[in-house]
Amino acid sequence: MAEICCEVVAGSSSEGKGPECDTGSRAARRRRMEIRRLRVVAERGAEEETSGKRRRLDGGGGEASTDEEDREVERARYGFTSVCGRRRDMEDSVSACPGFLPGHHFFGVFDGHGCSHVATSCGQRMHEIVVDEAGAAAGSAGLDEEARWRGVMERSFARMDAEAVASSRGSVAPAPTCRCEMQLPKCDHVGSTAVVAVLGPRHVVVANCGDSRAVLCRGGAAIPLSCDHKPDRPDELERIHAAGGRVIFWDGARVFGMLAMSRAIGDSYLKPYVICDPEVRVMERKDGEDEFLILASDGLWDVVSNEVACNVVRACLRSSGRRERNRSSPTSNLSPRQSSSSGDEAPNDGAPSAAAGSESDEESAAEEDKACAEAAVLLTKLALARQTSDNVSVVVVNLRRRKL
Amino acid sequence: MEQQEEVPPPPAGLGLTAEEYAQVRATVEAHHRYAVGPGQCSSLLAQRIHAPPAAVWAVVRRFDCPQVYKHFIRSCVLRPDPHHDDNGNDLRPGRLREVSVISGLPASTSTERLDLLDDAHRVFGFTITGGEHRLRNYRSVTTVSQLDEICTLVLESYIVDVPDGNTEDDTRLFADTVIRLNLQKLKSVSEANANAAAAAAAPPPPPPAAAE
Repeated sequence: MAEICCEVVAGSSSEGKGPECDTGSRAARRRRMEIRRLRVVAERGAEEETSGKRRRLDGGGGEASTDEEDREVERARYGFTSVCGRRRDMEDSVSACPGFLPGHHFFGVFDGHGCSHVATSCGQRMHEIVVDEAGAAAGSAGLDEEARWRGVMERSFARMDAEAVASSRGSVAPAPTCRCEMQLPKCDHVGSTAVVAVLGPRHVVVANCGDSRAVLCRGGAAIPLSCDHKPDRPDELERIHAAGGRVIFWDGARVFGMLAMSRAIGDSYLKPYVICDPEVRVMERKDGEDEFLILASDGLWDVVSNEVACNVVRACLRSSGRRERNRSSPTSNLSPRQSSSSGDEAPNDGAPSAAAGSESDEESAAEEDKACAEAAVLLTKLALARQTSDNVSVVVVNLRRRKL
Repeated sequence: MEQQEEVPPPPAGLGLTAEEYAQVRATVEAHHRYAVGPGQCSSLLAQRIHAPPAAVWAVVRRFDCPQVYKHFIRSCVLRPDPHHDDNGNDLRPGRLREVSVISGLPASTSTERLDLLDDAHRVFGFTITGGEHRLRNYRSVTTVSQLDEICTLVLESYIVDVPDGNTEDDTRLFADTVIRLNLQKLKSVSEANANAAAAAAAPPPPPPAAAE
């Protein structure tokens, strides 16, 4: 029986790697580490915010400016889980960094193969690289937002891949948990998928490389925001052949009969046939229609369709809403309070506008986080029940905006 | 007298010159020929290595530790030898190893039997007898030959069944890709070992006052 652990975090960053059971002291220590990491990110965010504000005040009318500022304090509401499943090793990594840029939240799922260290590096570094590249792109006034984000993501993936390849060349010591033996030459045959989402006030940006996937639920419909990079996808097959590579069906379509995806971070032994260029999609948010976003590895999508996944998550979030209305009942009072106490420790909670309202808002927010985590766990259990043969990693992000 | 016999050209795709092939032709005839039946395919690959043959052979012969020069191995365990409990690490024909393969590839385990370990002639052979993969009845031979004092030629050949649903070309492409990657790693490892050994063996510089 696979061990399942889920993470509910109210407003602080965290990264999930493998099944981890939180004992009190470990959870507290991890929370402190997360808070410390968050401060670093927050400081960077503060710098961005200063320059951002200056630009906005120069360019915008008062009302529009106020509206944008209000939107940018939207708090991330998400949950995730990551389990080994029936694989021998856990090689997935999940990254969630609320507020990693002012008014923006980062989520990523990285499904490793060959070993875990490339996916682990992605989980630790991808969001930092995106912050770096977004900062560098901030001055590109000529570009519209979509073109700017596309450039940020393409450069970020290229840098992440270069770091993964450099690591396999021995310039960086492998992670201590890494199983790679015989370090000479280093591992060229380790890689990872990367599906990344940046949630901003007006857009959802998704960048994908490999066969993990992002799905948006909008107005009850499942909208894929990424398209799996399988070697037999017609345009990928054409690109691989043009580069002099071959795809054969050997337990499914594989590049040279080996790798079952046509794009990945790392895997330098299969370059230039397996590339790290992401497909980037910039989606304008629609208030009133956007419900939630799911990022997950193929351990989920191989056995659960987009539509089924959306139905499961919607049921969880709806059930949370129902519980909210019955807050007065004795049984439901227990868990909201417990979640709230965890939420109170988050350093970047919004300032309360009124004491009573603030308390109610915080309880509701914690409940929503819990619902997202429950949805992620439920999807994972469904995948395991359907005999998925891979690690499963799931992130659920609530997109419904709450009026401030 | 057959002194006028024509020297056969090296097989296409092997990447050898006629002179190099002439040096190893006897080895090819002795160890790299297979009776290929219907539904089977075979291939021969070559790798030049800038290291003495002994350094290369020391790596190739490690039936117990193939991950030294082979890619895609997660772990390898020799099965206990029931007939020679006193010498469990002795490498003899008949020994079996259980190879575990890294994730992401179309295989997870491979059970392999040592067929040949000829230290005098530097010939190594194994057969895949089981495991979770699609290479049925795979049999392989690797030979290590001297080209000159510091250059070695490794030849690796195999014969294998063509799996249902695939062509000979598919099968050869898959197996050749794996072997080519392994031979490149063997080259890196052997040359690194030879360089390290040469550095360690270098004599100290003679004292400046020494008369010739």
